[in-house]
Amino acid sequence: MIGFAGLSHLGIVSSIATAAKGFEVIAYGETAALCDRLNEGKIPFFEPELEELLASNKQRIHFTADASELSRCEVIYFALDVPTDDSGRSDLSALDQLIERVVVLARNGATLIVLSQVPPGFTRKLARRIERLEDGRSLQIFYQVETLIFGRAVERALHPERFIVGSSDPHESLPKIYSELLSAFACPVLVMRYESAELTKISINMCLVSSVSVANTMAELCEKIGADWTEIIPALKLDKRIGQHAYLSPGLGIAGGNLERDLATVVSLANEFGTDDSVVDAWISNSRYRRDWALRLLHREVIPRAQQQEKKNPVIAVWGLAYKQDTTSTKNSPTLSLIDVLKPFSIRAYDPQVVLDREPHANFFQSSSAIEACKGADALLIMTPWREFSSISVAQIRDAMTGRVVVDPYGVLDAGACVEAGFNYFKLGSPSIKEQL
Amino acid sequence: MIRHLETEATRPNRVVVLGAGGFVGQDIVRHLNESQIEVVSLSSSDVDLTKPESVERLRGMVRDGDSLVIVSAITPDKGKDVATLMRNFTMGQHVSAFLEEQKCSHVLYISSDAVYSDDANPVRENSCCDPNSFHGLMHLVRERLFSAALQKIKTPYLILRPCAIYGAQDTHNSYGPNRFLREALKEHKIKLFGQGEEKRDHIYIKDLSRVAALGLLHRSQGVLNVATGNSISFFNLAEMIARLCGDDVKIEGSPRANPVTHRHFDTTAIHKAFPEFEITRLEDGISETFEEMRASIGT
Repeated sequence: MIGFAGLSHLGIVSSIATAAKGFEVIAYGETAALCDRLNEGKIPFFEPELEELLASNKQRIHFTADASELSRCEVIYFALDVPTDDSGRSDLSALDQLIERVVVLARNGATLIVLSQVPPGFTRKLARRIERLEDGRSLQIFYQVETLIFGRAVERALHPERFIVGSSDPHESLPKIYSELLSAFACPVLVMRYESAELTKISINMCLVSSVSVANTMAELCEKIGADWTEIIPALKLDKRIGQHAYLSPGLGIAGGNLERDLATVVSLANEFGTDDSVVDAWISNSRYRRDWALRLLHREVIPRAQQQEKKNPVIAVWGLAYKQDTTSTKNSPTLSLIDVLKPFSIRAYDPQVVLDREPHANFFQSSSAIEACKGADALLIMTPWREFSSISVAQIRDAMTGRVVVDPYGVLDAGACVEAGFNYFKLGSPSIKEQL
Repeated sequence: MIRHLETEATRPNRVVVLGAGGFVGQDIVRHLNESQIEVVSLSSSDVDLTKPESVERLRGMVRDGDSLVIVSAITPDKGKDVATLMRNFTMGQHVSAFLEEQKCSHVLYISSDAVYSDDANPVRENSCCDPNSFHGLMHLVRERLFSAALQKIKTPYLILRPCAIYGAQDTHNSYGPNRFLREALKEHKIKLFGQGEEKRDHIYIKDLSRVAALGLLHRSQGVLNVATGNSISFFNLAEMIARLCGDDVKIEGSPRANPVTHRHFDTTAIHKAFPEFEITRLEDGISETFEEMRASIGT
């Protein structure tokens, strides 16, 4: 029996994926209502294919608000997502409380695994703490790197590239049941000391940030000198040192919370130990700069023109509030930060999945459809590349809008069709296509 | 980078402009007057900030609750040497001593982009401050002096760091729009360093005054650069001015004495601070300046 403690995104996805591999799973969360909902097969957030996966494995997984049920488990994962503040700093208090609550219930010989996003040094300290709580039992502690990606969580959980396991003694074999569990996923298992595993997770994310920062830096140059980044990407991907799956798509800064957390952790560790983190500062600075790409563009291309035409405040249609497609997360979403600094202007927003609890300002209106949001707009901004946006007809957009500016950072719409329809078209990494207005 | 203590624009009780006799001070006063904000203009003839007694004199002229704009400085055209630097520091020391004791509602200091290091590109409000001129050093030291004084009495403090400023009333005649316009109008030629390859940002004086007024209306605090975000080479600027002044204006290059450097600004912060503020396009600002200068020269 495999247990999961903590029913946030990570815990829910991981527990269902484990059940899907044929294991009996008990998943514990504090909130009874949430457990009831999950037992009914309903997922409390949007994650493609997860509801279907739960439906097909319902018989092997039981969600419970009774922590004592975890005492039946030979393996218990701590899988609570660790929240971060605006600076990316983790708040570990809820995880600490969860561990405190569950460790005392674990059976003798149980294997405890930290799957949550913890800073280097956390697991060793925890192992020492648990030694004091063992109370005659023998408990083993491991740390396992999670590499969940919002919107692709099911695929990542079912088909991981590898498992990275932190152990107090990497030369010792893993407990049998834990080893069997990992084997079910048929991928390499890398066992290393706790600190190495904790830093591996961060290192992976630093590599991703580095690639994205390269893409952002070069994409901006492309926009200025008439090159097109989409033409350059295939050449880079064919370079074995870069690779087919490299993160080379330019974006509107780093968002979602996880990468920001690891950046903050590296800066904090570098400060503590006196190592050089200047490159990390540069990545953070680049991310903040790119986040405001659409704002600068609006102030260059839309707002002055509207003001010159004596239309004091332009109407701006915004598609997408989530920080990326296929998720409902708006953590550090560039759209929300944009909306926040456009207070004097009318914003008509639409997102297929996100409905904001409260409107960010008086001039903000959340529309019920993409075309509805475009009505009377001077400019359209496609801030999240939801797939459904690409199937909307450019003619329909043109008919709904009064202005002729499309800001499409990710190239969701067909640039040629937009230009044919008379739009000035702006995309990350490409020269703008403009008519003389 | 800045925070507004007044989210809605709120007219200050009274604004005192220190350094109202200079190019920038004069225009800020003009704009505040046009905006029907009560202004008291103080120039060096009213109070000589290089003298210790200026501290007491300022106390008699500035009331509690006034907003204070500090523009006074001995500009580089009047001296770039150590003596000028020390006189500017002395002025700063006296203003600082005054600020420590005065309950101003808000203080705005007009500093300069000269505080940034030469390789800060694009320049942002958090770019490294490492001035390579006494003029930049003077501004940086004064920024800090005033900050220290105002922190003690918890007075909100805004620093504006404009890029190169142009406008018809500018007397400094430094390399750039004003000099080019005068040369074109009087001598029918514009002289460039090298071939004028360097790119720079130029802000119209009226824009600086408008940003200063917005800062006063919102009692903003922090640091804000004032620039257009569009840098242009001196050659292209000269061409623009030559077109305005007539076909017979010649653009003359000269042997290059220094390596080419460029300066660009990231103006995101000003867009965030004042979303409705519309920056004057360089072409429009130069054209207005040209008309004003032509009228005053009588050509």
